[in-house]
Amino acid sequence: MDLTFSQIAECLSVAEPTLERWIRQGRIPVERVGGECRFNLAVLERWARDHNMHFSLSEVEQKKPPGAIADGLAEAMGRGGVHRDIGGDSINAVLKNAVARLTMLPPPVRDELYDRLVSREQLSSTGIGRGVAIPHPRSPIGGGMPIIATAFLRNPIDFKAVDDQPVFVLFMLISDSIDSHLHLLSRLAFCLRDDDFLAFLRRYPEADALFKRIATFEKRLDDRH
Amino acid sequence: MENRLLHIFRNTPLGRETFLQSIYFCSQIGLSLTVYIPLSTKFLMYFENDVVQVDLDNSYLTGPETAEAHARQLIEAAGLRAKFLTPKYFTASTLPDIPTDFDFMCCPRTISDLSSKVGLGYIGPRVRRIVGAARYPVLIPSVAYKPWQSVIVFFGGSSNAVKAFRLGLAISRRSGLPLDLYTQAEGRSRADYREGIEAAGLGQALEESVRHWYFFESGGLEENLYNVPHDALGVVGAFGHGLIRDLLFGSKMEEIQSILPNSLLIVGPKYSARF
Amino acid sequence: MPAPKPWRKFANWNFFRNDDRLLLIAIALVVGACSGLAALALNRSLAVVLHWLQPYRTQVWAFVLPGIGAALSSLFLDKIVNEGAGHGVPEVVYAVSRYGGLMRFRSSYSRLVSSFLTIGSGGSAGPEAPVVMSGAAIGSNIAKYFSLNDRQRITLVGCGAAGAIASIFNAPIAGMVFAIEVILGEWSALNIIPIAMAAVSGTEVSRILRGNQIAFEHRLFDIHLIDIAASVGLAIAAALASVLLTRTLRATHRLAGRLPVPLALRAAAGGCAVGLLGLWLPVVLGEGYHAIDEMIGGHFTAGLLIVAAAVLAKILATGLTLGSGGSGGIFAPSLVIGSLVGLTYHRLLVWAWPGADWVNEGCFALLGMAGLISGMLQAPLTGIFLIVEITGGYETILPLIIVSTIATTMSHYLEPASFYLKDLVERGQLLRPGTDRRVLADMSVRELLETDCIPVSPEMRLRDFIEVLKRSRRNYFPVNDPKTGVFLGIVYLDDIRPYLFDPLLYDAVVVGQIMHSDVAVASPDDELNDILRRMDAGRLFSMPVVSDGIFLGMVSKATLLDRYRRELMVQTCWQQGA
Repeated sequence: MDLTFSQIAECLSVAEPTLERWIRQGRIPVERVGGECRFNLAVLERWARDHNMHFSLSEVEQKKPPGAIADGLAEAMGRGGVHRDIGGDSINAVLKNAVARLTMLPPPVRDELYDRLVSREQLSSTGIGRGVAIPHPRSPIGGGMPIIATAFLRNPIDFKAVDDQPVFVLFMLISDSIDSHLHLLSRLAFCLRDDDFLAFLRRYPEADALFKRIATFEKRLDDRH
Repeated sequence: MENRLLHIFRNTPLGRETFLQSIYFCSQIGLSLTVYIPLSTKFLMYFENDVVQVDLDNSYLTGPETAEAHARQLIEAAGLRAKFLTPKYFTASTLPDIPTDFDFMCCPRTISDLSSKVGLGYIGPRVRRIVGAARYPVLIPSVAYKPWQSVIVFFGGSSNAVKAFRLGLAISRRSGLPLDLYTQAEGRSRADYREGIEAAGLGQALEESVRHWYFFESGGLEENLYNVPHDALGVVGAFGHGLIRDLLFGSKMEEIQSILPNSLLIVGPKYSARF
Repeated sequence: MPAPKPWRKFANWNFFRNDDRLLLIAIALVVGACSGLAALALNRSLAVVLHWLQPYRTQVWAFVLPGIGAALSSLFLDKIVNEGAGHGVPEVVYAVSRYGGLMRFRSSYSRLVSSFLTIGSGGSAGPEAPVVMSGAAIGSNIAKYFSLNDRQRITLVGCGAAGAIASIFNAPIAGMVFAIEVILGEWSALNIIPIAMAAVSGTEVSRILRGNQIAFEHRLFDIHLIDIAASVGLAIAAALASVLLTRTLRATHRLAGRLPVPLALRAAAGGCAVGLLGLWLPVVLGEGYHAIDEMIGGHFTAGLLIVAAAVLAKILATGLTLGSGGSGGIFAPSLVIGSLVGLTYHRLLVWAWPGADWVNEGCFALLGMAGLISGMLQAPLTGIFLIVEITGGYETILPLIIVSTIATTMSHYLEPASFYLKDLVERGQLLRPGTDRRVLADMSVRELLETDCIPVSPEMRLRDFIEVLKRSRRNYFPVNDPKTGVFLGIVYLDDIRPYLFDPLLYDAVVVGQIMHSDVAVASPDDELNDILRRMDAGRLFSMPVVSDGIFLGMVSKATLLDRYRRELMVQTCWQQGA
């Protein structure tokens, strides 16, 4: 495999001028073909090991482009879907019924998710006030893209929320990494700070209308950056 | 990182012309200018695999007390910022080392022989050594200051010519001036040359950025070069082969520089595109 | 693509490229032979011209000869090859430490010619430093021809120096040790093997062309314990003489520099003065190999006072020759002065304790040489091996070691750097491999630059600044003038932390009010050594890098430490047995 100059520099975590100098000074094994420099990966790896240096190719390849985690809220909500008429009169019952609706997840994952959601609720309530709760597992659940499932309850219940108001809607946030978790959480919180949006939620909107509304919020957020 | 051009200042009317060219070049493509006002007639330049001792012609030491003021005057008139280089290292007490980590350098056709020799077809031995060893292209300005309105790349199909084309593209983009291509075909067709350019991944640039491709399959170089705009900056690749091969086979760069009075940017064999 | 020339191609074979040891050994043999030839050429032509001028030495007008020679040599260096005066060894060490051993081609012959003119005409100087320089330049240019990298080129520079010394003295070990101890300052298997090969080929060239003769023959010495004890005193005397020589050289150089006359005239005046001294004491003239021979053989008949005066006269003559602009080294003069010191010391001993059973005076002359060479070069091994080899006198090894080591220590005490390296040390350019200075000198600000800082403008409100803050991964924000892009100052997160949580201030404060405008800045061309010193002085952890008023990035100690460690690991690989 042919690596570019800057990739090699990154693998060794040095600046490009340093790599150039090392080549000039003959400190690093390199093959010169005409004016070009060619690196042999195996030789280079051995050299790095001999010098007690860290050399990792995989890290460079796995590094996501910066746009990757900026996955949209609307997309995640679309994947999670909007579920209505969730029954139950306790936190656990509501959660159990809501998780059961997440048919895009295989049953064992659903069971695990339920356990984790419950244990998170025991730690402290995810009811953030004004009738909204954001149940989520404490650590990311691997596999797949992050999802946010919106679940409207049949009857508002006491969720031990911070303002003691009964909760009527759950946004279940299931993500594969801390980064995307925080990213989505902060975007969701931004929307929920808006009074109009809350009033809009109280009208139990249709999925399409909800996603459209979310998309306009996101546009505003993106414009600010 | 900013890009820098090195100019060795000569406090004479002739030196002023070359300095104006450097200033124009810098302001056209947004370089920062580094000026060295020589303190002694000799200095050393350590390149990657060569060290060149430059023995300047005595006119470089003219009027040392006014040199910096003269240089500053010209720089300020152009609204440019410049840095004056003071050598930090000395190989011997009278032999300063001038750094070589620039992106361009401006050399008149000769810097070690008398300037009266300056004429077409002559590039001094030191300037040749610098072209051969440097990682940066060398700007050889026309004798009198003349702004250029376009960029023309002399494309002969070699790998160095591809580098020259890349550099020409960058300059044309940075300056917003049109780019032309000039090829004196040597038994190959236009499609062959185009293939070479496409193989280097520059096919799209050829389509989009090149205003005109002067392509000559017949006629002498001298005759054809008349078509090159008089106010164009030439970009030409130079081989690193030695004197003997030059004598036997000649070199396109030699012919072009001996015919064309335009300012030329010469891309040497060690050039590595950083600009 | 330009095809590599076929005869250079073998250097590109993978077999050689992947493991360059064989390649280096092969080229080292060539380098050693070439520099050996150059050394021999100078040595033989000096012998011829000194022999040829011998009959005229007694004439009174002969005192102008060294003057003419020195003037010609100075003119040659200044006008024809455009090089500075001096003996050249510092230039070699400088090229090795800063530029990977790159040297000009003209250096491979310039000093040979100029020192031939100086010494041949009778100037008091040695041919060794010039041959070392030309050998080193030959090595460097051969390396350049094969497009070798810095490390390989430095080894070949060492090979050239080793070959030259080995050839001129017929002393392979001294050549090797000199190249490693004085020129390269790095003992590693990668260096030693090619250098040893070069020393072998240089010596062999010399043996083929002028026979395998030991430079200075002598009688067998019968050394007793008392002589060994006495050698301690000799070592001190030699150290003092070497310090005196160093200071005289520098003083004459300084004085001559003040003379308002052209270089050539200056050199001529110095040469004539040496010629006048030579009329009275001929021993001071030339490189003095013949005189050494006499002293070691015990045929030097002059009395104590004359010999003592000769020590001073030779020191003065060397100072005059080299300080005024003649060309040559101090190696041979040191040998002469050393043997004169040894002789003086011996005569003093005999005069003070006539009854004691002292060894032959030649032995003390020999020990004196070792003492002076070690004192001047501050390289004890070179002194020991050189004297053993050029005299073939292994039986003197014990006092030799004592004299060498004590003289080195003593002169180091008085002169912290050896004569060859003094200039470089004063300029801070002695960068021995594997040292802190070297590691810092190799790295540049450009390699450490952190460019992921987000620039802000001074008119920005705190509210907008906080948005920038959210996106940044850094604790500092350069403030640039929005129109000209000129760097104005820097905002440190630490300073504004208290205001960040006070929304009342969000619109009341602009960046211009919270930035530091009098920050210490570094330039991209600054040396890291200086930057670190300034950081330490100001207790800073990072500094903005500004060039022509434009902010380029930050340098921080954290990155520096990381890169420094990498650099150290890469530079000292051979020490880990890789």
